[in-house]
Amino acid sequence: MALTITCPICGKRNGYEFRFGGEEKGPRPEENGLTPEAWCDYVHLNKCVAGVQEEWWFHKDGCGLWFTIQRDTTTNLEAETVSMSKLATENEEAEK
Amino acid sequence: MFSKKKPMWGKKTPLKSSYDVVLIGGGLHSLATAYYLAKEHGITDIAIIEKNYIGFGGAGRNTAIVRANQRTQYNVPLYKEALDLWPVLTKDLDYNLMFNNCGNLNLMHSEAAMKAARMTIATAQFHGVESHLIDAKEAKELVPALNISDDITFPIHGAMFHPPGGVVRHDAVVWGLARAAAEMGVQIHQQTEALDIGTRNGKVTSVTTSRGTINTKQVLISAGGYSAALIYDMLGIKLPISVLTIQAMVTQPLKPVLDHVVSSGAYHCYANQTLKGEIATGAHMDPWPNYTTLNTAHYIKHQAEALSEFLPCLRGVRFMRIWGGLADMTPDMAPIMDGDEQVEGFYMDCGWGYFGFKSCSAVGKYMAEFMATKKCPDILKPFALKRYEEHKLMGETAALVNYSPDN
Ligand SMILES: Cc1cc2nc3c(=O)[nH]c(=O)nc-3n(C[C@H](O)[C@H](O)[C@H](O)COP(=O)(O)OP(=O)(O)OC[C@H]3O[C@@H](n4cnc5c(N)ncnc54)[C@H](O)[C@@H]3O)c2cc1C
Ligand SMILES: [Zn+2]
Repeated sequence: MALTITCPICGKRNGYEFRFGGEEKGPRPEENGLTPEAWCDYVHLNKCVAGVQEEWWFHKDGCGLWFTIQRDTTTNLEAETVSMSKLATENEEAEK
Repeated sequence: MFSKKKPMWGKKTPLKSSYDVVLIGGGLHSLATAYYLAKEHGITDIAIIEKNYIGFGGAGRNTAIVRANQRTQYNVPLYKEALDLWPVLTKDLDYNLMFNNCGNLNLMHSEAAMKAARMTIATAQFHGVESHLIDAKEAKELVPALNISDDITFPIHGAMFHPPGGVVRHDAVVWGLARAAAEMGVQIHQQTEALDIGTRNGKVTSVTTSRGTINTKQVLISAGGYSAALIYDMLGIKLPISVLTIQAMVTQPLKPVLDHVVSSGAYHCYANQTLKGEIATGAHMDPWPNYTTLNTAHYIKHQAEALSEFLPCLRGVRFMRIWGGLADMTPDMAPIMDGDEQVEGFYMDCGWGYFGFKSCSAVGKYMAEFMATKKCPDILKPFALKRYEEHKLMGETAALVNYSPDN
């Protein structure tokens, strides 16, 4: 179950420094007109993907940041995350 | 396992293009459901579709503990019936399931825990399940190896004693059910992966497998820890489940020292001595969801530390084997059994976490009744998926569980 996690501030660290925060489910639903289905979906329901999923982590024994990573749940390995700067260069190149 | 010899439960059969009922997953819940469908409802045109081999999942990896002292009025009767069925199945299957009703001792490490145990015991007694509260001295009399001194991390205040529980040989249940089901005509297809469920107008029409498509009107997914991913993938139904690896291990064999199942929530540890003399012990789950089933040094150390505190005679004893399996956990620590609701003809039986062995006999019986009569038996009604939407979560745990290292 080896696991390292890359915190955007602290870099690659031992997974035991972090707290798992659940699958990424998008923004919290609006209170206005909120249905029991939508609330249940947000609070309880998961996709349980056996493969790469986007998920939340909290650097509890570190800088205290909440952030998302892509991780393969069948291997515990972080999937290649595309950094913002790399994305920017790629976009520039695409425009050329 | 896949040798030319015929499987011990019967002949290998070709996969047909249609079945009355298809059960996905070759674990205890599918096998038991198939057995009762055939035996009590005369439905024998059944295919069990198993990706690997029967017993590959939790069915062959669990620590075989059975008991009926759960917390709520919905769970206790179901588990009681399951417990009462072991001697019956031993006879009916004509297979020695090695039911050893040695009794379970659930250790309490605070006065608050003793109070909570009183409530759980009252529930058990109300439902006719034998369960008593005993103090530390009485626990020591039952299990002389226990350390009841004050100088351990979690001193023992007493225990919930449940004499009718114990252990059952889990592999024997797999083989016994498979043989009996196959004798009645159920077909078990190993090394066959279910890939998709076909629907038309909200009704099940087929199951696609790695060996071809099967036409069917009824399908059950009871694939242990794999169920939630399959159900989302095949039908887009999301479930309140988190899938985590859970590990267990056994020590070298010892002379008899422990004749009860001893468990402790505070130490996150339970242990019993197998008939071979090994101390089998189970750990807590990994702190984050994963399907790896890998072992970690973390839990070997944790189990060694916990056991050498409350069973100090085990200090210096070596672990021989360690293994992992999957636990599909729900926030209220109770399973999801539902059917004919989201999609006509689709049934599910999952969310059994680390407690789905002890229940398989009774669950198979009632899931079979559900599928045969298309009416949900009363005993299963509280376990429907809708309970989460209706805020009717079950009180198997006092507070909602969020699967992380903080609990
Ligand atoms: C370490 C450990 C200790 C445990 N201890 C206990 C205990 O002491 N007491 C207790 O009551 N419970 C215990 N459990 C829980 C119990 O083992 C499970 O809840 C139960 O076995 C799951 O139900 P099952 O047997 O029907 O499924 P499983 O045996 O998990 O079967 C699932 C099957 O589905 C198959 N499958 C997966 N995907 C597909 C596909 N696409 N197509 C076809 N087949 C597929 C798999 O190969 C597997 O064989 C423990 C579990 C573990 C891992
Ligand atoms: Zn950090």
